[in-house]
This record gives sequence, C-alpha cells and structure tokens, in this order.
Amino acid sequence: MTPNVLIVAEVDSGRLSLPTVEAAGVARSLSGPDGKIVGIAGGAGAAGAAIEFGEYGIERAYAIDDPRLDGAPAQAQTAYIAAAASAVGAHLVLLGGSTAGRDLAGRVAVAWKAAAANGVTELAWAGEALRVQRPVFGGRATEARLLRGGRAVVSLRPHAFPAAAVERTTCAVERAPAASVPPALLAPRRTGVEAVPKGTGPALSDAPIVVSGGRGVRTPENFRLIEELAASLGAAVGASRAVTDAGWRPTSLQVGQTGRSVSPQLYIAVGISGAIQHLVGMMSSRVIVAINNDATASIFRVADYGIVGDLFAIVPALTAEIHRVRGI
Amino acid sequence: MEIVVCLKPVPDAETRLRPRADGSRLDPEGVKFVLAGYDESAVEQALLLREAIAGSKVHAVSFGPPRWTEEVLRAAIALGCDTATAVESAGEEAGDPIAAAEGLLGAVEGMPHDLVLLGKQAGDDEEGLVPGALAEMLGMPHFGYVVDLHWDGAAQRLRFGRSAEAGQETWESPLPCVIGLQQAWNDPRTAKLPAILKSRRAPIAKVSPPAPSPERAASVPERFALPPPRTGAKMIAYRTPEEAAQQLVRILKEEAKVFP
Ligand SMILES: Cc1cc2nc3c(=O)[nH]c(=O)nc-3n(C[C@H](O)[C@H](O)[C@H](O)COP(=O)(O)OP(=O)(O)OC[C@H]3O[C@@H](n4cnc5c(N)ncnc54)[C@H](O)[C@@H]3O)c2cc1C
Ligand SMILES: Nc1ncnc2c1ncn2[C@@H]1O[C@H](COP(=O)(O)O)[C@@H](O)[C@H]1O
Repeated sequence: MTPNVLIVAEVDSGRLSLPTVEAAGVARSLSGPDGKIVGIAGGAGAAGAAIEFGEYGIERAYAIDDPRLDGAPAQAQTAYIAAAASAVGAHLVLLGGSTAGRDLAGRVAVAWKAAAANGVTELAWAGEALRVQRPVFGGRATEARLLRGGRAVVSLRPHAFPAAAVERTTCAVERAPAASVPPALLAPRRTGVEAVPKGTGPALSDAPIVVSGGRGVRTPENFRLIEELAASLGAAVGASRAVTDAGWRPTSLQVGQTGRSVSPQLYIAVGISGAIQHLVGMMSSRVIVAINNDATASIFRVADYGIVGDLFAIVPALTAEIHRVRGI
Repeated sequence: MEIVVCLKPVPDAETRLRPRADGSRLDPEGVKFVLAGYDESAVEQALLLREAIAGSKVHAVSFGPPRWTEEVLRAAIALGCDTATAVESAGEEAGDPIAAAEGLLGAVEGMPHDLVLLGKQAGDDEEGLVPGALAEMLGMPHFGYVVDLHWDGAAQRLRFGRSAEAGQETWESPLPCVIGLQQAWNDPRTAKLPAILKSRRAPIAKVSPPAPSPERAASVPERFALPPPRTGAKMIAYRTPEEAAQQLVRILKEEAKVFP
C-alpha cells in the first residue's frame, strides 16, 4: 500500500503553527516513497501559509478560497477537508495537536466517514489499517487501537513528535475542491482573543515545561518562588487545588482531575503531596521532578527525580543555578 | 431553553485498572461506572443555565450498557436533571467515540434540543471526539474547551470563552449549538439524600442505538496496557541546597535531556 496523507494546516498569524509542522514531520515518516502528502489551509492567510508547506518537503497543497471562512470557526472548513481528502485518495487526515485540531477531528471523521483518534503518541500502518497508541486515564494506562476501513482521522498529542526537518522544496498551491458549507457553521463569531500576556510564559495545557506549587508554599506571596523558577525555565506555572481553593492563584492554573490535564516534557512539583486527583492531571508528563520535605510523600512514587528538602532553600538555589547555566 | 447533557459512564477514580485476559481493553469486571470529571461540570452548567432562564429543562442522556448508564442517569436526576434517557448498547463498541455519537444521535434527535452540553473529553478515553462528531451528525456548530458559558437573552446568543494556544478566545453563537465543557467547578453541587432516594424510583426512558453500519470505518481496541510501574524517584543526595540544584540541573541536561 502507498499511503496518502492530507495534512490540515492550522494558520497562526499567516504561518503554519508548530502543531502543523509536527504533523508534517509525522506525515513524511509515515508515507512511503510513492505516497502522496498534500496540505490544506483555510481561513485568513490560507494561500500564504499553504506555500510554507514547501519548507517541510511537501510539494502540494490546497488553499481554500472562501472568504466566508475568515473569522469563522475552523469547523466551517470541515466539508472542504472531507472533499480534499477524497480528491487526493487519502488514507489518513492528519491534524496538529492543538485545540482546533483536536476539536476538528470528530467532525471531519463523520463528514469523511472515517475512524478517528485524538492525542496520538505513536502511529504505524498495519496493512490497510492504522495502528495508533495513546495515553488514557490521565496517563495511568495506554491503549492501542486499529483504525480500520482505509480512512483514518488523527490528531497528535502536543510535543510527542519533533517538528518536521526544514527541506526547502517548492509547494504548488491549488484551489481546494469546492464544497458546500452549512450556513449554521458560519454563524458563530469570535468576539475577542485575550492573548497570553508576554512574559507570563506559555499556556499551561501546551507548555513543554510546567512548574507547579502546592500548599507547601504556605502563602500567596511565597508563590512568587514558583513563578521565578518557572520563568527561569521559560515554563508555565501550575498549582494544586489546595492553592487555587485558597485563592492564592486563579483556578485556571489548577492541575488535576477538576483542573487542567498537562503532559509536558518536564513537570516540577514543589510542595505538592501527590494526591491521586492531582496525579491524574500530570502523570503522563515525560519527566517528573518532585521537591518536598516529606520523604514519604506520594509524589515521590510517580516522580523520576526527587529532592527531599525545604522548598524555601532548594527553590531559590535552583532558580539561581538555572540562571547561571542558561546565562540569564 | 431545552438543554441536553450527554453523560458517559466512566470507571470510578479509585478503580484499579486491569486489562482483560486477552489484553485488548480494560476489564470492566468489578469496576464501578460513575458520573465524573467534565461530565459532572456539564450537569452543573446545565442546571445553572436552567436556573437563569425561566422555563428551561435539562435532559440527561447516556449511551452504554444499562448497568453503567443507570448509575450516571440516577446521579443526574438526583442532582436535578428533569428527564433521563439511556441508549442501550452491549458495550462491545465501547471506546469508539464515533459509535457513541451515533448512539447519542438517536436519542438527541428525538427530544427538543436547543443546546447540547458534553464534557470536553471523557474521564477514561480522553478523546474529545464525541462533541464534534455528534454536532456534525446534527448539522450544528460545536465548540470544545469551553469555559464561562452564559446566555445573552437580549442578543439571543450564547457567549463563552475557549482556551486556545494563542490565549483565551471569546465567542458568540446562536442556538442550536453543541458545547464541550472544560469548566471545572471546585464545588459542584452535591445531591441531597431525599433527592438521591427519589432518583432511585425515577423513570429512565430507553432508546435503541442504530444498527452498526457494516461499511463504517471502525476503531477497534487492540491492547490496553499499564505503564511499567515507576520505580520511585531517584533521590538526589546533597549537602547544601546549591549542591542539590547543581545536581538536578546536570541530570536534567545530561540524563533526562529536558533542560531548555
Ligand atoms: C473530587 C475532588 C477533586 C479534586 N481535584 C483536584 C485537582 O484537580 N487538583 C488537585 O491538585 N487536587 C485536587 N483535589 C484535592 C486533592 O485531593 C488534594 O487535597 C490536593 O491536591 C492537595 O494539594 P497539595 O498537595 O498542594 O497540599 P497537601 O496535600 O497539603 O501537600 C502539601 C505538601 O507540601 C509539603 N511541604 C510542606 N512544607 C514544605 C516545605 N517547606 N518544603 C517542601 N515541601 C513542603 C508537605 O510535605 C506536603 O506533601 C481534589 C479532591 C477531590 C475530593
Ligand atoms: N457513551 C457516552 N454516553 C454519553 N455521553 C458520552 C458518551 N461518550 C462520550 N460522551 C460525551 O462526550 C464527551 C467527550 O467524550 P470523548 O469524546 O469520549 O472524550 C464526554 O465528556 C461526554 O459528555
């Protein structure tokens, strides 16, 4: 079989977003020498972004020429994506691991009559089927599934794959095949974006590094220590529920069962005991570091590296050491 | 406003996860299936909207084997949902979110539905596929990852926030609409004892799912595995905080290779 892949671009200020570039890398490693890889981009700046696929060795892309999509939710592209997938004889529609990508997968699967999986960390062909693997139960287990029937729609887990290597080829951009967009999908309107303020670090759910603080920090003022450590690493700040319940920091920072699920490359838990409700939100992190003055704290059972000690001594020393090593 | 909430029975958080003998999926034997996570939030949100908009009703729907759906639907009634509908399945398709959406479709189409509320992802499979799949089947717009949902009666619009990589977006949408909720209340309401007792006798409507179409692409579970137990943390020995810091940074750079 020579698998054909359609990559759905997410356009961010006229450029391909990082999740899309990760998807391009996966497509290139999955598709054999004879397989076709085609990109598709829609919405404002689509044509310019589609050309950019060439930088990742993808020589063909569709741009959706439909001004109604500017400012409309990404889901309004569903019918175009399904039509393009059929036109290229795709076996796989690949979406980046972003909010929009995950949100689009179920829709595209129904429109294109495909099987679907979100948040995939491994994928490989098994004959006509696609075998996908993904963490479930907050990282407490993994499942492998076969997506059968020759049509699969998959979004990737953020940071699970490296970005595609840069390989400057020229991408021929064509107009995407026509499709009819249900008017209901054009009705919702975005009324604003509150951009993540500069200097506050990346968004929690997508950050490659997260530093979280717990009740051990003791006061809202002391929580600054956690924020300084995070800043030294360019990391996002998280918190346990003890912290958000006490109002030391907003609930939007809460990690766990009733907060956010995160799966960064590195998670540093400071003054957090490791209650199961916290663990389910961060256990699928690749490397976990715990700093706690109680050697019997449960967090050390899931951590890869532990420091038993007083956070008020360890954290400032760590922040200083990171500044020194990174030369900042 | 007629509000439908879709509730997935998921294993209780305390469940000891175990693969079935053939290793293909979770062994449901002895597992307690409950209403949990974002679906609990969806119920809370539905009830808050009902309280805010006179004449509203909340309809709970769940797809799965009756012994599982009954538990979550009774919990939903005890919390205050007006009606409960079970779409009965054998459970073999479990874990195929598109099949779940097909099952839910039959029930939702048969009831008034201005707003369909779901969790942004289920507590077990965490796919986040059902909201979009169901919305596409219904021909309705949908949004996942939604927080701060409210109804603007003057403009006849839903207004809500949505967390995306670029920041917090705000949106407005007319009805009907499908919403996958990310909001987490730290203190959603809990059911009172009399309501729990009454919910035991409440009627649960039953709907049969559509026969699976043979040509539909399928998602088949192949293997369910527990990660090798983390052997416990490698503890860093040190004399001074500075030494602890140096050791940790060295490990993150050289051994774990996660230093930025
Ligand atoms: C339904 C439900 C949902 C929940 N959802 C969540 C959730 O989403 N997220 C969440 O986090 N929790 C959640 N919880 C709460 C959870 O059970 C715990 O209560 C909470 O995680 C505890 O937070 P903590 O670890 O910060 O505090 P604690 O458990 O009090 O731990 C504080 C830790 O700090 C350490 N410490 C103290 N002083 C120092 C020092 N000077 N130096 C170093 N270490 C120090 C202590 O040894 C201790 O281990 C939920 C609970 C329920 C019932
Ligand atoms: N079997 C089901 N019955 C009712 N609702 C479901 C079912 N499966 C999924 N859902 C809803 O869809 C949401 C997302 O589920 P999932 O796509 O499986 O992560 C859940 O939070 C539920 O609201």
